[in-house]
Amino acid sequence: MRIGFDDGTLLLRNAPDDVPYAEWDDRVDEYRTQAYRYRSLLEWAGKWTDGNEQATLQEGFAHTLEDAARAYPYLDLTPALHIEPRDYQQAALNAWIDHDRRGSVVLPTGSGKTFLGLQAIADAGVSTLVVTPTIDLMNQWHATLTNAFGDQLTEPVGVLGGGSHDVTAITVTTYDSAYRYVNEYGDQFGLLVVDEEHHLPAPTYRQIPEMMIAPYRLGLTATYERPDGKHELLEDLLGPVVYREDVDELAGEYLSEYETIHMSVELTADELEQYDEEYQIYRDYVDTHEFDLWKEEGYQEFLKRTSYDPQGRRALIAKQRAERIARTAEKKLDTLDNLSKRHHDDRAIIFTANNDFAYDISQEFIVPCITHQTKTDERTEILERFRTGEYSMLVTSQVLDEGIDVPAANVGIILSGSASKRQYAQRLGRILRPTDDRQPARLYEIITEDTMETYVSQRRREGVSASADG
Amino acid sequence: MPVLTADLARSRTTDETVTPLFIDPNEERYQQTAHELIQLFENHLGEPKGDLEDAIDELTIADTDYKIVQGLAKLLKDECEFEIVTSVDPREVRRRLFEKANGRYPIVRQPTLGEDTQKLEVYSAVADDLGVSLEECYRGMYADLEDNKQLVRIGTRTADQYASDDDGSTSTTNLTGSSDAEYEHTDLTVDWLLTRYNLALAQAVLYDATEMRIQVLDHFGTVFSYVKLFGLMHRIYPIDADGERVASTDQAAGYEAVLDGPASLFSKSQKYGIRMANFLPALPLCDRWEMGAEILVDETTGETRQFALDHTEDLESHYSAGDQFDSDVERTLTRKWERANTDWELVREDDVFDLGAEVMIPDFAIEHPDGRRAILEIVGFWTPEYLDAKLEKIRKVEADNFVLAVSEQLDCASEEFGSAADRVLWFKTGIHVYDVVDLAEQYATEMPQSQEQA
Repeated sequence: MRIGFDDGTLLLRNAPDDVPYAEWDDRVDEYRTQAYRYRSLLEWAGKWTDGNEQATLQEGFAHTLEDAARAYPYLDLTPALHIEPRDYQQAALNAWIDHDRRGSVVLPTGSGKTFLGLQAIADAGVSTLVVTPTIDLMNQWHATLTNAFGDQLTEPVGVLGGGSHDVTAITVTTYDSAYRYVNEYGDQFGLLVVDEEHHLPAPTYRQIPEMMIAPYRLGLTATYERPDGKHELLEDLLGPVVYREDVDELAGEYLSEYETIHMSVELTADELEQYDEEYQIYRDYVDTHEFDLWKEEGYQEFLKRTSYDPQGRRALIAKQRAERIARTAEKKLDTLDNLSKRHHDDRAIIFTANNDFAYDISQEFIVPCITHQTKTDERTEILERFRTGEYSMLVTSQVLDEGIDVPAANVGIILSGSASKRQYAQRLGRILRPTDDRQPARLYEIITEDTMETYVSQRRREGVSASADG
Repeated sequence: MPVLTADLARSRTTDETVTPLFIDPNEERYQQTAHELIQLFENHLGEPKGDLEDAIDELTIADTDYKIVQGLAKLLKDECEFEIVTSVDPREVRRRLFEKANGRYPIVRQPTLGEDTQKLEVYSAVADDLGVSLEECYRGMYADLEDNKQLVRIGTRTADQYASDDDGSTSTTNLTGSSDAEYEHTDLTVDWLLTRYNLALAQAVLYDATEMRIQVLDHFGTVFSYVKLFGLMHRIYPIDADGERVASTDQAAGYEAVLDGPASLFSKSQKYGIRMANFLPALPLCDRWEMGAEILVDETTGETRQFALDHTEDLESHYSAGDQFDSDVERTLTRKWERANTDWELVREDDVFDLGAEVMIPDFAIEHPDGRRAILEIVGFWTPEYLDAKLEKIRKVEADNFVLAVSEQLDCASEEFGSAADRVLWFKTGIHVYDVVDLAEQYATEMPQSQEQA
């Protein structure tokens, strides 16, 4: 029998009829099986070797098997980190190794899952694909892997997704890109690491582990169980839960203290004129149609109308334009001017809600900029330089999610924050750390006065109290 | 390949079916819109992409057809090339600017103290270091942003290089995604855009397809070469002129094929939907065809709807139908046959042999009015690799009426033709009609009775 990787599956040529896991493919008159059965198939044939060990022959019985499927190389890596694994990280790693390097590790957010991933890659010593749910997380893994292994690899850490298509021995990707290309690269990795693995049981994403031959697999998550019960599929695809640590067992997690300062600016005369003009178009439309915009259904009704009523479409555009004027108000730059004078010795991150404004600020104040358009390797470089102090300021339009490893800053400035997004400010606050004991970290939130945003939040409060009264 | 993204797709879903919302390419308003858009693109040649996008958005501010406008614009954009135009390396400029700036913060707009830096000083210093003008330095800084790229070319007037010979050098995997494809050719006109749009609407529905069934009554060679090109797998059934399945290829007026991919064996998967979408434009190359696809509408429940399409929809293909003849030998034989005095008729690419992973479509069938029939394959002047692949295929064909004309210049022997070894006609430079007729007289078999057409 000769097994070969065929477009995300394993084609078993001249296989005996008792070959396990296989289906007869009448299109090519051969047996075929899913790629993830690779290891089981080798074990069945008595051909599975784990690292340097000899193949374990089952009672002297071995099927003739020619392995033409495997296309992944061994790697000799040691993480270049000066951090000792914490006790639970070491325990999790050992548990995974004891389970033949297959299985899931459940650890709370912020407990260093990425760090565990690095240890696992070094231990398995084979080429690795890391799959993450978002481009942000993909970028974070890229930065961490580059720091840990960059000098030991012949090629840079590969990126598949977010506009990049470089596949190397250690590659990071997103679920979406992995799903799209897995049938091409499913034979080239010995270890599959799935971050936030609870997303994996979706029918499409499930095909990522199915179409890979990787004999070693590691799933990472803080929330293993899915409401739909589909997490039960993970055992077959990645292996069993080998280690679990609950939130309270890691008590004393560090949450930073910071103070928030609200500032507001006015629109310039020109901006105000444009704003009023657009806002009026929106207002008029909404008023004549009596949508109850303060309720979800009312807003949905408005949106629906915009798809067939040209004036409704115009109103929607007017609303977007007005919001944009408020978000990118010229005077926010003056305020930023003042803040940069006050904090030029500090480490500051400026947040904007759109790319254009981030680039405007980058050019105006000559500040390094990260947006969704920034290529992964440049992003890694900028963050690294921010970490080392080569850069002391940063402007970004990206929502920095929890778990994203952003170097600490002691000043945060939100320039385009709309009043309705409080949780956004809270999220950004988590990356702030005081640099010395004398001064707490600070988060400035600069919004535009007397615009729709303030109006909306007022009306929302009124709506709430009205219904509470009624 | 130009595609519509999910947000620009337009279709209607009922309990049983899903149908793309085609537009009438002759309708005045669409003609007008397409014309306006093409003009807009031409006016923006050499301009930044961001300006072009803004101008397109401006067209749709009070237009509920914005999905159509944006969809048409998307197809045009896919035919354009946007390039970074700058004399400096943007990333290098940025690095230098940020390094220089970092020692000089605060960089302020309104200086309050003598020692405050203004941005101009930093830009000038870096421009001097690089030996470029201040303007080049400032503009070059972000010249690589998508919005700052310039429109440098509209339309791909790529020569039509797709040839139907399957020399195996084209890997299927790099064609299953979107890639520059040589088998496409376009000339950006209003009619091209509007017909291409309808095709793109149908393709957008197919992205969620789990299985496709096609029936074709002509152009088999072309269709199956595209099936292979896009990495689809098939099950083939001969059909009669009404589309009913028949027992053998000898009785076939056409073929039905069920298309999916390797992993479809284990579960329904829309993984191959993109390949089916890419394959779709091959169908309108046929005169008569039908297509039915199962479209997954709910991933969790696995619920599907039917999407049916046929030649009456007047879709137009932008794919190449390939060269009608693979070689001069074939063309010459056809010409000679027309002048020759024989009852036997030479019919082009009439049979499809299912060889599992691939099909074999012999060059000709030779038919006699009395119902006898033989199949002819010409093995001409080929490279050794191609010859090996061809011989491999020929050995798999199981048909007693399969005859071969083989060039003497080829480095191969009779044995290599397997069970067909006795049915080989060797030729030097050209094939003589009467030699082929002799071969047909000897090996032709009776067509089954059911083939007689009513």
